[in-house]
Amino acid sequence: MKKLVLAALALTLAGGASAQVKPEDAIKWRQSAYATMGWSMARIKMNVEGTYNKDEVIKAATVIQSIANSGMGSLYLPGTDKGKGWEETRVKPEFFTNKDGVGKVAMAFNKEANEMAKVAASGDVAAVKEQFGKLGGTCKGCHDDFKIKK
Amino acid sequence: MNSKHFRLWDLPTRLFHWLLVLAIIAAIVSGQLGGNLIVWHGRIGIFIVGLVVFRLIWGLLGSTYARFAHFFPSPARIKAYLRGEWHQPGHNPLGALSVFALLGLITFQAVSGLFANDDIAFNGPLYDLVGRDLSNRLSGLHHLVSNGLYVLIALHLAAIAFYGHIKKKNLVKAMISGRHEGEGEDARGGGLVALVVALLVAAAAIYGASGAWLPEPPPPPPAAETPSW
Repeated sequence: MKKLVLAALALTLAGGASAQVKPEDAIKWRQSAYATMGWSMARIKMNVEGTYNKDEVIKAATVIQSIANSGMGSLYLPGTDKGKGWEETRVKPEFFTNKDGVGKVAMAFNKEANEMAKVAASGDVAAVKEQFGKLGGTCKGCHDDFKIKK
Repeated sequence: MNSKHFRLWDLPTRLFHWLLVLAIIAAIVSGQLGGNLIVWHGRIGIFIVGLVVFRLIWGLLGSTYARFAHFFPSPARIKAYLRGEWHQPGHNPLGALSVFALLGLITFQAVSGLFANDDIAFNGPLYDLVGRDLSNRLSGLHHLVSNGLYVLIALHLAAIAFYGHIKKKNLVKAMISGRHEGEGEDARGGGLVALVVALLVAAAAIYGASGAWLPEPPPPPPAAETPSW
């Protein structure tokens, strides 16, 4: 009996340790990732419009590429269509039902983010500017369909 | 070809109209496509502010049929029109309602856009005046109201088609040539002085909308003052 209780306790503890990400944390991390990408997009833009610093742009593009390849999809847990992270989530319920649509915009973003990092490394300002537009277009692709407008 | 006609729409009104058509098309396309075109969407919006302000002044100082007072859709006029007792040239009272609705929505779109942001990397030229929260709300309204504008544009085109096919009256031709067939009084007023005044006010509006007058943001601290990591 004692053994059984201990085993049950161990299981519970183990279960607790490997527990799922809390919805509130998942939403917070999502929002933080987007804010960080916002910083990086603004950073690329400032360099394209002002004096161009190749290293700055490489850093910013690398950040976006890393986040794009981080598997952020795992933060869209069931039940996180509503809830508060740093603020109320603005994800649309369709995000959780239209898997093909989400997959498409996510892959488009992923592709352009990887390309952005490549172009940034080249240091070609005109190409960076063009790729910046393409990348921004894939942000919009998701915002239009899956982000709630205030 | 001897038919009678008279001057209905003055040249500034016609130019305004067709420039607005082009600008709205460009705004819709650039807004939908996004990417780097969002920068042009912003520029076109500033231009539309100038166009609309020009039209508002021209509605006061322009020639006869371009004046708001001439076609203001008062309830009495609407009633008269619906009873079939309206025979004036120019905008009829229902058409006038559509004109004011279009001008109103376009103004709202242009002005809200000045404060909006696209949640990617673009802020409207007057974004700094309102801050993030209000900008987000105005951006939401900017998206929402665009649907209303589509409806009004569709109505506008449908009315033109209705006049063309059913009533056999070519409204587009009149908006190009400025002339209306039949008997009527030539449009008067809206001379050079009025035009210069309207253009100057419109230019001032464009300057205001562009945010060029906003104080420069403080220069960022030199790189040496921030940690190098």
